[in-house]
Amino acid sequence: MTETDLVAISPLIFVIALAMLIIVADIIWPDRDDISTGLTVAGLLVGAGLTVLVAQSEAREIFAGAYVVDPLTSFLDVLFLAIALVTVLVAPDYLRPRGLPMAEFTATLLFAISGAMLISGSRDLLVLFLGLELLVLPGYMLAGYAKRDGYSTEGAIKYFLLGSFSSAIFLFGLALTWGFTGTTRIREVAASLAQLDTASALAPALLMGLALLTTGVAFKIAAVPFHYWTPDAYQGSPTPVTGYLSVGPKVAAFALILRLFVEALAPIKADWTPVVIVLAAITMTLGNLVALTQDNVKRMLAYSSIAHTGYIMVGLAAYAGAPVGSEAERAGLEGLLFYSVAYAFMNLGAFAIVSALQHRRGVTSQIETFAGLGRRAPWAAILMTLFLLSLTGIPPTAGFFAKAYVVLAAVQAGGWVSVLAVIAVLNAAAAAFYYLRVVVFMFMRDPPETARPVLTGTMMRAGLAITAVMTIFIGLVPPVTSGVIEFARVAAEVLLVRTAGG
Amino acid sequence: MSGSLQSYLILSALLFAIGTFGFLARRNAIAMLMSIELMLNAVNLSIVAFGAFIPALRGDAAIIALMVMAVAAAEATVGLAIVIAIYRNSRTPLVDEYDRMRQ
Repeated sequence: MTETDLVAISPLIFVIALAMLIIVADIIWPDRDDISTGLTVAGLLVGAGLTVLVAQSEAREIFAGAYVVDPLTSFLDVLFLAIALVTVLVAPDYLRPRGLPMAEFTATLLFAISGAMLISGSRDLLVLFLGLELLVLPGYMLAGYAKRDGYSTEGAIKYFLLGSFSSAIFLFGLALTWGFTGTTRIREVAASLAQLDTASALAPALLMGLALLTTGVAFKIAAVPFHYWTPDAYQGSPTPVTGYLSVGPKVAAFALILRLFVEALAPIKADWTPVVIVLAAITMTLGNLVALTQDNVKRMLAYSSIAHTGYIMVGLAAYAGAPVGSEAERAGLEGLLFYSVAYAFMNLGAFAIVSALQHRRGVTSQIETFAGLGRRAPWAAILMTLFLLSLTGIPPTAGFFAKAYVVLAAVQAGGWVSVLAVIAVLNAAAAAFYYLRVVVFMFMRDPPETARPVLTGTMMRAGLAITAVMTIFIGLVPPVTSGVIEFARVAAEVLLVRTAGG
Repeated sequence: MSGSLQSYLILSALLFAIGTFGFLARRNAIAMLMSIELMLNAVNLSIVAFGAFIPALRGDAAIIALMVMAVAAAEATVGLAIVIAIYRNSRTPLVDEYDRMRQ
């Protein structure tokens, strides 16, 4: 361990130190929500600055090649910090009326984010696994954060049981891959797999390892048919937590896919591509079909997030299905990264509105809560419409460009992947039904007699402003769009150069 | 040392399968937690077996096995805390009775 190693990894250390600082501050000044929230917001901004600062220097491997700070790491780290920031801004309005403390919430959230950041730059199988566990364990706690609420604990136990089940499956896959290739370093795993005779069938142990890894990862991103925990975990969790769970762990799991499948397992791409294509197709379709029948907005958004997993997987499939070294390979990864950014902001925004409506205790997330919102709280209704239109993929929002990117990449890749493009477009049309149903409730139904005004705090407004501005700007303002695309391209190229170099 | 790497791997796969079956078949949250522990320990057995039979993997195997044990302990802690929390709310450890959200 040298000084440069520590400097390169400083954003990660900073986030962990911040979480500990918040716990200490809570011991000194108990029950001061303002202190812990203020510290977190300031700390996350400093952390993002630090990440950008570290990204300025050359990409380098640290800790003897176990971790790397390259554009992909920086891209994902900034996104994770932004997700944490929005979650922290949105949370107080929901947690305070229910008597839930902020300090533990922010500390747990920051530990989870540090796990995500550990995944984003991981170049070692063991570090990947540790990052994954550091990401999901605080996630289980957050899901059960309202511990006196039956729904929250019920969601938490389902999330926990299925989550640790999938972790065990994933770990067995890692162990077999490690035993077969004889190394934990991702670079050496790729080199060892590249030497395999491509024509011969894979050894049974490696094939089993690959199947177990795929299953484990499919659980984590909530791909159909490994999605059963998602609706209950999302509906039961406190709403700001649901917002976080639907983007944070999902994007982190895709980061894991990029590091593990795209980097380490690239030489045996042909063996996992068909699985990705099939999973993407059924994930999109089933997620959307089931979402059509939901009356609870949180549950509806849970199924919609499953569908969005499918769209992101189309980007992965475009990479996997494209010939090695082709333009479509890069376009697929770029689409995956761009979609992750757009999805993070629009989905967090939609959940932020649900949180804002649930500011008063006892307000449910049933669709009736949204009735007449256009008259009761025009701004909330307009923003919700924006996020829902973006989730549908209507231009000129971020969601449209994200969908366009992955679909174009899929067309470019050709073969069976171009069938996915057709399925994705058909699905986007079907999805419009259930997203617009909420809009119809907001603007064309009368508010219930019992409806009371919607209250929003300053922090909630800031969180909504960030998500709304990003949702519009990523789609509409060329400098922002091209900035994100450029960053995504650089990040994608890092992966491709390395896999081509062996 | 008796046996071969293969026999240890088969044993660990069998243990893993028993754990998986237990997870899918049992309805008690604590029993499901125990099944997950069994799965993790099966993985650990395969890791240690790799280390014992392949000299190049010996050092790595010890470290990975220790890490997996630490992670398993952390997971059990979080899991038991959640089981206690839900037991206080619904007075049962049986997971098929946690069905408030199924419509």
